[in-house]
Amino acid sequence: MIKKSDLWLLVFILVVGSAVALINPRFLSPINLSNTANLIGLFGIFSVAQAFVIISGGIDLSAGSVIALLGVLFVDLVAGGTLPPGFAFLLVVVLGCAIGAIHGFLVARVGLQPFIVTLCGLLIYRGIARWYTEDGTAGFPFDASFPWLEWLTSGRLYGIPHSLIAFAAITVVMAVVLHKSVFGRHLFAVGRNEEAARYSGIDTRRVTIAAYFICSALTAIAAVFIAMYTRSISPSSHGNFYELYAIAAAVLGGCSLRGGEGSIAGVVLGTVLLQVLQNLVNLLGVPSSLNFAVMGSVILVGVLADRHLSTRPNHTRRQARQSSVVVRSVG
Amino acid sequence: MTRSLLGILALSALLATGSAEAQDKKTLAFVVNGASDFWKLAEAGVKKAQAELPAYDLQFKYPEQAAAAVQQRLMEDLVAAGVSAIMVSAVDPKSSTASLNAIGGQVPLFTTDSDAPDTNRIAYIGSSNTDAGKQAGEIALKALPEGGKCIGFVGLPGADNARERIEGMKSVLQGSKVELVDVRGDDIDMTRAKRNVEDALAANPDVDCMVGFYSYNPPRIYEVLKETGKLGAVTVIAFDEDPITLGGVREGTIAGTVVQQPYEWGYQGMKLMAAFLEGDQSGIPENKLVIVPTKIIDKSNVDAFEAELKSRIGG
Amino acid sequence: MSDLLLTLNRISKTYGSVTVVDDVSIRINTGEVVGLVGENGAGKSTLMKILGGVVAPTAGSIDFDGEAHPRLTVAASNRAGIAFVHQELNLFDNLSVAANVFIGREPRKGGLLNLVDEAELVRRTAPLLAQLGADFSPDARVADLSLAERQLVEIAKALSVNARLLILDEPTSSLTATETERLLVTVDRLRSEGVSIILISHRLGEVERLADRVVVLRDGRLVAELVGTDIAAPTMIRHMIGRDLKALYVPPAAAPGNPILELVDIRTVGRPDRTVSLDVRRGEILGLAGLIGSGRTELARALFGLDPLLGGTIRINGEAVAIDSPRAAIAAGLYLVPEDRKLSGLILEFPIRDNIALPSLRRFARLWMVDEDAVDVEAVRQRDGLDIRAGSVRMPCGSLSGGNQQKVVLAKWLSMAPRVLIFDEPTRGVDVGAKSEIYHRMRDLADAGVGILMISSDMEEVIGVSDRVAVMHEGAIAGILGREELSEHAVLTRAVGREPVHSE
Repeated sequence: MIKKSDLWLLVFILVVGSAVALINPRFLSPINLSNTANLIGLFGIFSVAQAFVIISGGIDLSAGSVIALLGVLFVDLVAGGTLPPGFAFLLVVVLGCAIGAIHGFLVARVGLQPFIVTLCGLLIYRGIARWYTEDGTAGFPFDASFPWLEWLTSGRLYGIPHSLIAFAAITVVMAVVLHKSVFGRHLFAVGRNEEAARYSGIDTRRVTIAAYFICSALTAIAAVFIAMYTRSISPSSHGNFYELYAIAAAVLGGCSLRGGEGSIAGVVLGTVLLQVLQNLVNLLGVPSSLNFAVMGSVILVGVLADRHLSTRPNHTRRQARQSSVVVRSVG
Repeated sequence: MTRSLLGILALSALLATGSAEAQDKKTLAFVVNGASDFWKLAEAGVKKAQAELPAYDLQFKYPEQAAAAVQQRLMEDLVAAGVSAIMVSAVDPKSSTASLNAIGGQVPLFTTDSDAPDTNRIAYIGSSNTDAGKQAGEIALKALPEGGKCIGFVGLPGADNARERIEGMKSVLQGSKVELVDVRGDDIDMTRAKRNVEDALAANPDVDCMVGFYSYNPPRIYEVLKETGKLGAVTVIAFDEDPITLGGVREGTIAGTVVQQPYEWGYQGMKLMAAFLEGDQSGIPENKLVIVPTKIIDKSNVDAFEAELKSRIGG
Repeated sequence: MSDLLLTLNRISKTYGSVTVVDDVSIRINTGEVVGLVGENGAGKSTLMKILGGVVAPTAGSIDFDGEAHPRLTVAASNRAGIAFVHQELNLFDNLSVAANVFIGREPRKGGLLNLVDEAELVRRTAPLLAQLGADFSPDARVADLSLAERQLVEIAKALSVNARLLILDEPTSSLTATETERLLVTVDRLRSEGVSIILISHRLGEVERLADRVVVLRDGRLVAELVGTDIAAPTMIRHMIGRDLKALYVPPAAAPGNPILELVDIRTVGRPDRTVSLDVRRGEILGLAGLIGSGRTELARALFGLDPLLGGTIRINGEAVAIDSPRAAIAAGLYLVPEDRKLSGLILEFPIRDNIALPSLRRFARLWMVDEDAVDVEAVRQRDGLDIRAGSVRMPCGSLSGGNQQKVVLAKWLSMAPRVLIFDEPTRGVDVGAKSEIYHRMRDLADAGVGILMISSDMEEVIGVSDRVAVMHEGAIAGILGREELSEHAVLTRAVGREPVHSE
């Protein structure tokens, strides 16, 4: 489950972390670590979700818009007192499942390309979210208090944010599902070579639909946590680009956009790195306009290093194409 | 086939009604730079103006995205549909001179919120962000008589409105013991906005004061301070009138907020445009800047201000 | 007899301590077909790469045009007029035939605009296609062509650079009998026009028929150079493997029993207007012969649930089964070893063990979690049972030779107690040694009571392995031949609809 490339990523995070800590020791202050952990939790949940779709050979571009739409709904329902928080949470997750099921259906049954399906989703959900609030901001009124909901989503246990605990729990479950379960193995097979998977008697459509289902369901959970973090959502900007954070984390963590490759541990590390970078920009006083540039550069370096240092799947592939002469005599 | 025919029919019907309307009434459009609650107030002002200008059709337009190109296209469509004058809060006034001029060459163009002085616009109506920044500096000087270190938070630090507010504030603080040491940007992402506050607090535990330059920044400051138990210990200076901000002002945990009067922009702006179209230019000063002053809201006048807001949005 | 075109002079190639090509000298004359045979790993591909300039020899020289070159570069190889037609075709199937032939060397027009001169392109391609006897137009999209036609496009591409030496690597491995015949005629014609050809093929019958001279490689060394009457399959095989292959056919251990797979009036999407009825009996290998397009693959796809079954009944062990997906077929104990193992049979990047366990993962699962130890145990058992030559079952399948890959595909199904196994072209691209192992394995399975349906376009295989042969023609069974009436002639006449063999 722990791959060599994951170890490299871990080393990279430690190097970046140590460098930041040397320059500004407050990086290691409990409050900063706790804050960063909270954001790792928030972004990690939907990044792990994204990994399932990417491993299936697809992509979910709609994550940010789903976070906006479900977040707006959740805040509106709870703030307006329409539904008790528990029910609202449940409703939002059910809606997430429905969105995932629709994506999966369109990809696996109708045969549309994942990029197109979720790009349309990105536009549609963002549009509905803005229409729903008439482009206003959905927020809790001043002094609004939902003690147990707040405790659950933004509370901290000995300084450990509950969002991180939720993320850890989800990660463990999803790691078992992906790396130990029959479904997980089937998912890798479908992502890498759908045809061979079908010839092996795997119900490839069901596997694909399940991947989108899991993805959107987890994204819905993340939407609630993020909504409770910002406590106020302006639907035109909330969650913008978040799908790209998720895709970046997955790619950093060794997922291949061709599908069939990746690990939960890698995605977790990818998320950690991205959030440490955001933290770094603020702690080192880097101009905040450079934020995305720093992130992009580090991802590029990370991916290049990974390609250079770890065994390259492309390499084995090329070998396989050659006649077996070389393989036999050399390997 | 049938469907596309239907589409054409529907479209031509639409165009027909559109041009019919344009014939009986002159249309004035108020084009904003993106969706926000702030503009709801301007919209209320426009509504009030509509009641007083029955001979005009007043439209309030949101571009679907806060992008200069999207806004430009929206204005071009309006011109094509025959509007008589446009008031715009340009997304990117500095680099859109040519395209704004193109619009201004076809219909009278007014600017609001953020000015584009190098264009052929008739006039600007709105706040002076520099003055607003100065007012924020005054709140800071009053709240921190001993002096102190401030950190600011803003959406787009490079945008004109942000820069003018920051410079205005700095100009007042100059020579005092209060200092604005850093301003963090968040690209209008609320998660990052909140995280910036958290990180600033972690990196500078001794910070005395925090300034939220965009409307959603003060609520994020308020939440972080509340969660870390530092509410009241750190002075908060706000802009605009988010409900959380006003709540904090009433509670006394936010020293004060500088508010603009978008309602007045909408109301006065529309009246100004109508007058201009009727040939009356008396409302436009020599420097072509119609400044609606910003106001400081603190504990003393917050209740009255909130009542006024409610009545305007409600009505 | 003819002029010398090129000489490989005492070529050796070593990788570290491993010698892949060992002191090989070959001369090639103008207008001569040289057969190059040898098992996989004998050094054929490396030798060809040296000719193509891709690999530099460790010792020796390549002599042509009166000069000795210690090595060739790709450019020098092109200049010398050496062109390859690879086993895996390198065509852009979204482009036209003419565009493919001149890809990278398009005739231009329009000066700085650098437009493709389409008319010139077609004008230059047409005579090349005519030379090859191709009956498709230069404008045809490659996607619309059959495999055989695509091969002609590749050859046209080689001819367009005025190739003097054409290297054909397994050119007929995916062609039907008629297509093969036409290709052989084309090769003959090119020879008569003075083009030299190196023919690499596992199909020794073709080599026998075409080659003026045959070079046999074994373990990197040239072990025999045959001419005249010595060019005969048994001789070649003896040199290739150093021993005679036993006569291919092994009779079943016992007389075939009751039908295990019964097909009654099956209609498929290939030819919905025709029906197929067929029995495979317990303990027999039923060969299914026919031309490409005769409906064999469509039948296999329908039986395995890949295409919908339009009508008819499938009975396994006398019980009617409803098969609407590969899942259902597998549940009924009917498995398919597909034609294209790299695309459909295996996930090349996955380890051997995971490929073997893929169809039967649930069997290795406790509470939906995969029991990795159980997978390893089964994978090792299958590796040993099938003699899959791999150091570890954790090696990716992509690193195995074709024969070993095919054994992994077989292992997937053997671990699941098959009742009926359908083999679609079981030994395509598999070397001679692995071929006979696969045949033995099929026989063992049949003797163990598994019904085997073997689709094959390789006549040696159809005749050498099957107990009975069903021949398909235009979507229907044109005849079923028992062992005693089996002959190449008998199969081919039925495959082409009882017409004489040489017709199209």
